[in-house]
Amino acid sequence: MTMSTINNNTTLSASTPAAEATHKIHKYLIFMIRDTETTYSKLGVDAEYVLEILNNYNLTYLPLMPDYVSGVFNMRGQIIPVMDLRLRLGKPATEKGLVVVLNYNGMQLGILVDAVDRMIDIDDGTITTVHSQEAQRFASGMCSIPDNSGTLIVLDCAQLFAHE
Amino acid sequence: MSGGNDILDTYIYENNSLLEQLEAIILDAETADTFSQDNINEIFRIMHTIKGSSAMMEFDTLATVAHRIEDLFFIIRENSMKVVSEENKPTLFNMMFHAVDYFRTEMEKIEANQPLDKDIDSFLQNINSLISKIKGEEPAEVPKDTDSSTKGSAEAPCAGFSENPDFPYQLLIFYDEGCGMENLRAFMLLTSIKDFCNESDLLFSPQGIENDASTAEQVIDNGFLMMFKNKEDREKAIPVVRSTGSIKSYQPHDYLPPAPMVEEAPAVAASPTEAPAAPAASAPAPATPATAAAPAPAPTPVSAPSSSAQHQKESLISVHQSKLDQLSALVGEIVITESMVTGSPDLRGLKNLDAFSKSARQLRKLTDELQDISMSLRMVPIATSFQKMNRIVRDMCKKLNKRVKLTIIGEDTEVDKTIVDNIGDPIMHMIRNSMDHGIETSEEARIAAGKNPVGEIILSARDTGSEIIIEIRDDGQGVNDEAVLQKAIKNGIASPDIEYSHKEILNFLLMPGFSTNTNVTEFSGRGVGMDVVKRGVEELGGTVTISSQLGKGMTTTMKIPLTMAIMDGMEVSVGKTIFTIPIHNIRQSFKVSAAEVLHDTVNGEIIKVMDNFYPIVRAKDLYNLPHGVDNIEEGILLWLEAGDMSYCLLVDELIGEQQVVVKPLPTYVTNFDIKSRGIIGCSILGDGSISVILDAGNLSNAAFSK
Repeated sequence: MTMSTINNNTTLSASTPAAEATHKIHKYLIFMIRDTETTYSKLGVDAEYVLEILNNYNLTYLPLMPDYVSGVFNMRGQIIPVMDLRLRLGKPATEKGLVVVLNYNGMQLGILVDAVDRMIDIDDGTITTVHSQEAQRFASGMCSIPDNSGTLIVLDCAQLFAHE
Repeated sequence: MSGGNDILDTYIYENNSLLEQLEAIILDAETADTFSQDNINEIFRIMHTIKGSSAMMEFDTLATVAHRIEDLFFIIRENSMKVVSEENKPTLFNMMFHAVDYFRTEMEKIEANQPLDKDIDSFLQNINSLISKIKGEEPAEVPKDTDSSTKGSAEAPCAGFSENPDFPYQLLIFYDEGCGMENLRAFMLLTSIKDFCNESDLLFSPQGIENDASTAEQVIDNGFLMMFKNKEDREKAIPVVRSTGSIKSYQPHDYLPPAPMVEEAPAVAASPTEAPAAPAASAPAPATPATAAAPAPAPTPVSAPSSSAQHQKESLISVHQSKLDQLSALVGEIVITESMVTGSPDLRGLKNLDAFSKSARQLRKLTDELQDISMSLRMVPIATSFQKMNRIVRDMCKKLNKRVKLTIIGEDTEVDKTIVDNIGDPIMHMIRNSMDHGIETSEEARIAAGKNPVGEIILSARDTGSEIIIEIRDDGQGVNDEAVLQKAIKNGIASPDIEYSHKEILNFLLMPGFSTNTNVTEFSGRGVGMDVVKRGVEELGGTVTISSQLGKGMTTTMKIPLTMAIMDGMEVSVGKTIFTIPIHNIRQSFKVSAAEVLHDTVNGEIIKVMDNFYPIVRAKDLYNLPHGVDNIEEGILLWLEAGDMSYCLLVDELIGEQQVVVKPLPTYVTNFDIKSRGIIGCSILGDGSISVILDAGNLSNAAFSK
């Protein structure tokens, strides 16, 4: 899986049936986190929070941070901290990945993921809330991807940005 | 932001600056125990502006209060300060301070989008009763003064005004001294005024200005006088005059038919309601002989400074601070990009770069200038923070029944806007502390100690080039070491078994929850205070020290870096990580051999430099870095000093000295509290990578308090 499909998302979203009457439709960015050598989880984050997707970045190690904070990098003069989402979710960290820069409540944070899939429209009503368990700490809900390509875990930005 | 909010912002900004002016005037006036004619005019103008803009913004309560104060000053303006008797003066001053406070609180409410105080009746009542008191005194006062005021008004025309009843609206203009060709300047002004004013409606003096050079002398001595038939024309002419250069002052004057004043004067007293009935008129109409009874003596020379100040103000514009922040950020980027371009690795090995090097040098020069200017934009005099203290000292003198003089030195010192915004609270705390605890409670005690019965607090600021030093010095009783120590032991900050030095005891004062005064007063002694000062100053990157001499007084010194945006730093590497250490913290750097390193009992390393022993901190170990030298002989030691801490930091290599743009740490990262462990910011290096800026003070705290 590569990030090449991002460009196709506009056509995809146009074909999604509208159900505005009852629910709000939100765009989600889907990205992948490797579970094992061959399997991936698909996670989504509300596209409203996504600032940028970068595959070329130069991380600087920042001391005294928990291991899941990989460091900081310079995004056009802004210092952006980067969290390795794989380590944060307790998954093995593979070599490099992509940085998805999120902006939540004025705070910026880059998350390291293995790959970015595409952008899709999801009806809020189809997302079922998951009960908070330790393993699903950063998930606010789940839903099936409209084209039946799998299940999507919706990332909870508030939890992700929260500081413990 | 919507247009409406822009208007509101401007309204709040303008009113706040007017209130600042107003407060300064009242403070001065209180010291002089009278309002000068200038002051009265200025207050009148301020109230008029506040009234107008508040009414426009539909803040009716504010407009009403401003209106009543305007009425009050209308009476005072018409009859001069003599109308206010001695016993009413304190009431007047207190009422005006109250008014300033009232407007300030309301401004804050408007800013915070809160509803305004609707209950202004009691305040209005106060103003009204003062007005009637003043009016009540009028009959007694006015006739007594008629002589002098008649004289004053009789002199007014001599100051350059002419008496021509057909052209009653006059404008007298004085040019800057030595600006030259005054007659031609006047002629040019006249020409531009004729654009909108019929020649037949306008007279001027002296004549012949366009071709008789000798008239220049007359213009210099007596001013250039224009007389208008219609008031509108003069109103239009004033902005033209204001926008013309080299004008020192201008003064509108209404010619009034010489009324039989002595007879008319009692009429003022007889019908006192007439005066407030026409409060908005900026100049009394000639048809109202009652108000004409005592026209203000023409303040020609006195008004010159105030109108030239107005001129200065108009060449200033106010810019939103966020725009300046953006500008400095951008300039910072340009500085970095410039060094990225000129130091690009692609250039290595290229020859014949003469033209390129020349342009690069030019570019560097320009970016340096740009940087200086963008920094200077953010610099403002510290006066605004200092002036507020006058009011605090005044109020506390009243409440505590002490006599204290506040002396301000160096209020012109320019500092970064962020410093001005944040230094107010720390200074205020220290001043309150000096007022409350420092200055002796009774004047007898001061006299007994051989001091001036009036206490003195000196607030000073000076600029050393790299930092600004703010000092608050009082000549009070000083700090009682024993009492402080006892309190510190009681509060569990100090241990009874240890002997503390004078300096250490003073440091207890700056610790959280410490307050030597057992009685909580309105002003200080809430158990918070000095630690707030320390924290406030440290947030600005500065330090606070206290020195004291029992019986002589106490001095608080705050040292704050002039600007936090750009600093000179030494870049050092530890493994792959690059750190920047502020140059002013570095005393020396040197290599050592393993044999020179001493070990203390808890595995700490110590080095002897110039007959003193300093602990060694290994940056690699402190920050758990994955790479970096372990053998002390391969690395280099930096001897750092911050406040009263002095130690050596082991790093791998020195890279070089560089000016860096300080970027704050991202919010997400600051949540992990790394600031207290010595990491205070980041900077972007020439190649786009990031270096971590260390703070020598916090670093040592982190290293030695484990």
